[in-house]
Amino acid sequence: MKVTNFNPPGNNTDLAGSATLQQKWSDKLSGYFTSGEDRLNNLLAAGSTRQFYNPLTRGSTAPDVAGSAGLITWNGFPRKFLSSTPGTAPNFEDAEPATLGVARPQDEYLEWFVRKSGDKITSVEFTCEGWDYYDFLAVEASAVLVQIYRTFIDPTVQLTELMSGNRYNRFNKWNTERGALHLTERANNLFAEVILAAEATVRRKNSSGAEVVAAGPLTTCSGFGDHLRNSDPAIGAAVNKLARQGRMVTLADPVGLYIDRLDLDSFSLPGNVPLTDWFRVLRGTATHTLRAVFAPPAGSSQTVSDVMIDEEPILFGGQIAQHITMKIVGVASVSTTVNNPLVACIGPILLSAAAVGAEPELPTRGGQ
Amino acid sequence: MPAAPEPLLDVADMQGNILAGFNKDHQLLVALNIAEVAGTRRWLARVWPQISTLTQVLQFNSLFRSMRAQTGSEPVGLVASWFNIAFSHDAIVKLTSTNEADALPGRAFRAGLSAQRARGLADPVPEGERDPTAKWVVGSAGSAPDIFVIIASDRPTELEALALRVLPNPSQDGVDAPRMVWKELGETLPNLPGHEHFGWKDGVSQPGVRGLVSQNPEVLLTPRILQSAPDGEVEFAHPGQPLVWPGNFVLGYPHTDRNDGKPLGPAPLAFDWFRNGSFLVFRRLNQNVAGFAQFLEQQAASLAKTPGFAGLTPMQLGSLLVGRWPSGAPLSRMPLADDPVLAADRDANNDFLFASDSPLPNFLPGHSVASFPLAFEATKGPLCPHAAHIFKVNPRDHTTDVGPDFDTLTRRILRRGSPFGPPLISPLGGDDGVERGLHFLCYQASIEDQFEFLQKRWANTELGPTPGGHDIIIGQTKSMERTMEVPAIVRGQQPEVVTTPTQWVTPTGGGYFFAPSVSAIRDRFASGLPNEHGG
Repeated sequence: MKVTNFNPPGNNTDLAGSATLQQKWSDKLSGYFTSGEDRLNNLLAAGSTRQFYNPLTRGSTAPDVAGSAGLITWNGFPRKFLSSTPGTAPNFEDAEPATLGVARPQDEYLEWFVRKSGDKITSVEFTCEGWDYYDFLAVEASAVLVQIYRTFIDPTVQLTELMSGNRYNRFNKWNTERGALHLTERANNLFAEVILAAEATVRRKNSSGAEVVAAGPLTTCSGFGDHLRNSDPAIGAAVNKLARQGRMVTLADPVGLYIDRLDLDSFSLPGNVPLTDWFRVLRGTATHTLRAVFAPPAGSSQTVSDVMIDEEPILFGGQIAQHITMKIVGVASVSTTVNNPLVACIGPILLSAAAVGAEPELPTRGGQ
Repeated sequence: MPAAPEPLLDVADMQGNILAGFNKDHQLLVALNIAEVAGTRRWLARVWPQISTLTQVLQFNSLFRSMRAQTGSEPVGLVASWFNIAFSHDAIVKLTSTNEADALPGRAFRAGLSAQRARGLADPVPEGERDPTAKWVVGSAGSAPDIFVIIASDRPTELEALALRVLPNPSQDGVDAPRMVWKELGETLPNLPGHEHFGWKDGVSQPGVRGLVSQNPEVLLTPRILQSAPDGEVEFAHPGQPLVWPGNFVLGYPHTDRNDGKPLGPAPLAFDWFRNGSFLVFRRLNQNVAGFAQFLEQQAASLAKTPGFAGLTPMQLGSLLVGRWPSGAPLSRMPLADDPVLAADRDANNDFLFASDSPLPNFLPGHSVASFPLAFEATKGPLCPHAAHIFKVNPRDHTTDVGPDFDTLTRRILRRGSPFGPPLISPLGGDDGVERGLHFLCYQASIEDQFEFLQKRWANTELGPTPGGHDIIIGQTKSMERTMEVPAIVRGQQPEVVTTPTQWVTPTGGGYFFAPSVSAIRDRFASGLPNEHGG
């Protein structure tokens, strides 16, 4: 794959009025990819070929695999709140606090906010936008930042409420206790996504010299995330499998984390009325959804609390999140010629972010 | 770190079909409704001693295997007949109490296989109806049976004799005994024993259940022929047969931690009589054999014109949809041609992984393996499509949308089904108008976490457990349209997508039940005496 620039997540139009801003975002993304390449220089054995590449600076027009080879999906509800006891419901309550100044514990690149009227849920808003994009807006286009908050959270939002001194505060009240505009969890950022994909192309071996391929051990061995999540092992294992097949790998533009779909098969309304238009894309597109809401369509007198899932009433947003599939989209070459030597595990702790240099302030999935 | 000790299973108290499987050529399913509680108790008091226990089934299966090993062929004249029983939530309310019935773990069992539950499974809605179960022959909404009986035997005459002995009849049990509302015989296909109606070998892969069947720590429910796995890896009893803690199938035992495979629990039970019980799912699945054969014929001819599929045969396409050849040989080991010898070798026919190349099994001393091609899914694959039936319902070592291979262990079910109806000898000659299909039966500790999860989250979706399309064999969607990505059979060529608007497997009956322990049926269901140890 080869690109001439990187577009904003979901091909959103936030930067449409400024070629300068578009270029700055593209440069930032390109820097993420170059960081990924640089990390591989430190990780791979001498003489190896980097299997992850920056499609802007090192892209190629050689054919890529068609179909779903690069599509990586996972469930949006945080795995850590599932029970292992058969027949026991997840701990939905603990999964969705809305506390000022604190990151949500929703660590599958999907976070949500529940709005209520009395004891009835009126809407559940879902977001999967990495917080580093909003850091970028705060620095480069603060008016755009405020406008997005006003559009999706509250029309009264002021810039001063979003900042802590001269830095953007992602834990501001409008993104924690009053809403969820973008991801807050420390590792839920685009830099982490790019670095995870890059590092997952490294083929690993354990202390016995055997190649590490199982998702959990690979995640721990490579230090690129939390093996107890749905997302990190799924992303890491899928990318690593492409690398083991000898392919060149990168991420598709627009780079982002996306809501792929909400499966409504188990949802019902009284009288078996179809749930038409209950799940609506608010930001991004149908194929690259950044923000969506589950709420009654205009004119409906019903609330979310009237909806049942598997004949159980909706009491928490997490019940809906359990039916949301998340995705990232990778690209893999048809060519399968790379065969790098295996690299020893580095253990559960990632190389320090500061060692990378390019984006020292951004945590990766393994660096928390 | 030493391995965790395996629990002693109460083999004399568990119904035998749960953990051992009847494995009979003839299996009669009977649905009963409770007329009066008193008559039901009278019947249960008469027949509970005839319920086949795990002890009995294990002993017979062991003897059968021993004689087969000695003679090299199926033992002649060795006959057993088995009887097991399960109850719906409503039946348990009637026979115990609402409090007890509601305290059984799991929301799906409480709800039953209702119209809404069936909608959640994406069961097709008949034309002119709003309820997917409206035309079911058994278990339709509002007329779900109370009691589900399984009678199985090696011989039809013995089966009939046992049925006469154990089914309710007014002369022995009174006029208020349970009433039969449906029955149907399932039988191994005479032309293809062990296969389902589409022609593929069924039931090759079952999980290995941990546990001791006697105080002797050497006597395990699932014998081991492989070395123990290192800590952090899934352990196998037999090549391709991972070990799962018994609490994932039977209440009252340690269950599997979805993060590391280690034992947890056992989970506390609200009432002592829940122990040794298991949840049973029944689905009567009609199979459109002619339609499936015609689809394979047409689709294979179409695909064969594309660069990656030159020479593709209908059987090969069917095998790509299933993940195995009709003999049972896995595509992951034999991507281009069937191998009945490999298929018949139990040490080889299930020994493959989906995320990794498969090494030679690490056998215990005294075991060896025949020389067959190994599976190289990781470096040569994909050989088995991600949407192949066997991948969708058991992704093995492949990470899934909900976690690692340890999580997949907690989704496994124990399948106990059998075909019904006569085989269709010439499928391409068209349908003969006779019903045929599969009596799908499976046991588990949680219907929503296991059966429903597999059907709804993986078989019915394009993206679970990993992207690649729907399970075209058993997957269902509201629109009926399903798509599946098929990797090229010519190496280096691009995959193609197969699409069909037709479902060849259609539910026509079903129900959710609980198969209690023998002691629970004797002491709680038949006697009606309150449980003194209730929580």
